[in-house]
Amino acid sequence: MNLSDKVTIPAQVMARTVGDETVILDLASGTYFGLDPVGARIWALMGEGRTLAEICATMLEEYEVEREQLEADVLRLAMELAERGLVVAAQ
Amino acid sequence: MAEVDFRFGTGKPQVSFDLPLFHKWMFPDGTPWTYFYRKGEGYLLRFPGLGDFDVSADGLFIQAWPVPGVSEETIQHLYLNQVLPLALSKQGKWIFHAGAIDTPFGAVAFLGESGRGKSTLAASFAMSGYRFFTDDALLLEKLEDVYLVQPSHPSIRLWRDSQEALVGDDVQLAPPVQYTSKARLLSGGELGFCPESRTLRRMYFLGDGSSTDVCIERMTPSEAVMGLVKNSFLLDIEAPDAVASHFNRLADMAELQIYYRLDYPRSYDMLPAVRQAIIEHAAAEDA
Repeated sequence: MNLSDKVTIPAQVMARTVGDETVILDLASGTYFGLDPVGARIWALMGEGRTLAEICATMLEEYEVEREQLEADVLRLAMELAERGLVVAAQ
Repeated sequence: MAEVDFRFGTGKPQVSFDLPLFHKWMFPDGTPWTYFYRKGEGYLLRFPGLGDFDVSADGLFIQAWPVPGVSEETIQHLYLNQVLPLALSKQGKWIFHAGAIDTPFGAVAFLGESGRGKSTLAASFAMSGYRFFTDDALLLEKLEDVYLVQPSHPSIRLWRDSQEALVGDDVQLAPPVQYTSKARLLSGGELGFCPESRTLRRMYFLGDGSSTDVCIERMTPSEAVMGLVKNSFLLDIEAPDAVASHFNRLADMAELQIYYRLDYPRSYDMLPAVRQAIIEHAAAEDA
């Protein structure tokens, strides 16, 4: 996976916002995953169909963070979610 | 607790069949404990060597089929502690792996898997004047914005060492059952049971006992959702609509500011300090 990728959320995956966090559930596997507020923001932007690079660009405007660090964090989260079947990489 | 038509069948050996198996519960050592099968519109729950239970699709009817030689008390015990909570989940009720006690500030629940100390805590509080609602299967009902803890079966199951340390022998026991050496202590005397519903005040998720002192930490909402999911009964984990509904209801519930991790060294000597910490914490408005 790289920054030019988009990810899609499979139909069997649902998410709920609780407080400023998000919990994701895969109805098919029963897998649950919790996201902190920053992860929840990334998840919301993923749901808008943006590429990971576009997500980083948006978040650089919203958070005080180094681009390099942010890109690494977004990629790491995307890959972790993909490994759990909670997102699917799309070109 | 129950709105279920429960019936005993005659003894019946457990034969193999072709029903679709969709779930199973195992002991930590890999020994099977419960097999979940689909049977027509409903379910069949098999406890190997003990008995089968037919559960209707709506959770309103349960028929037990004991293995020949298995006592009625054993089947009743399985029904109350394992099958009934699962059936109630099919009725849309909220059932959790939790003990609960009554305090002057509302009901306090302790959630955790087997062995985390739910029954020990419930017995410890009950013997100190705080009546218990349940030691293992907590039934909640939602009334507008309030969650009510409902009384369950008026008994607590304890290992012999816990009974000796906390309760002694001056207590009425239910007849023994054939799959556990835990005694079932019936309420009465100092072991007080709360037969009325009470507003839920706190939910504590029990740690593994690695803490060196009593430790209470607030959980984040997402941690609370996942903790509630992990500790709730749900019979049909393959029905997407039911799982989604269950998830949404627990996510709504997680918005409450009542969820905490609780850990403490597992020593009977620590229990007075644990009780005091919990009561003080439950009393605080802004914990």
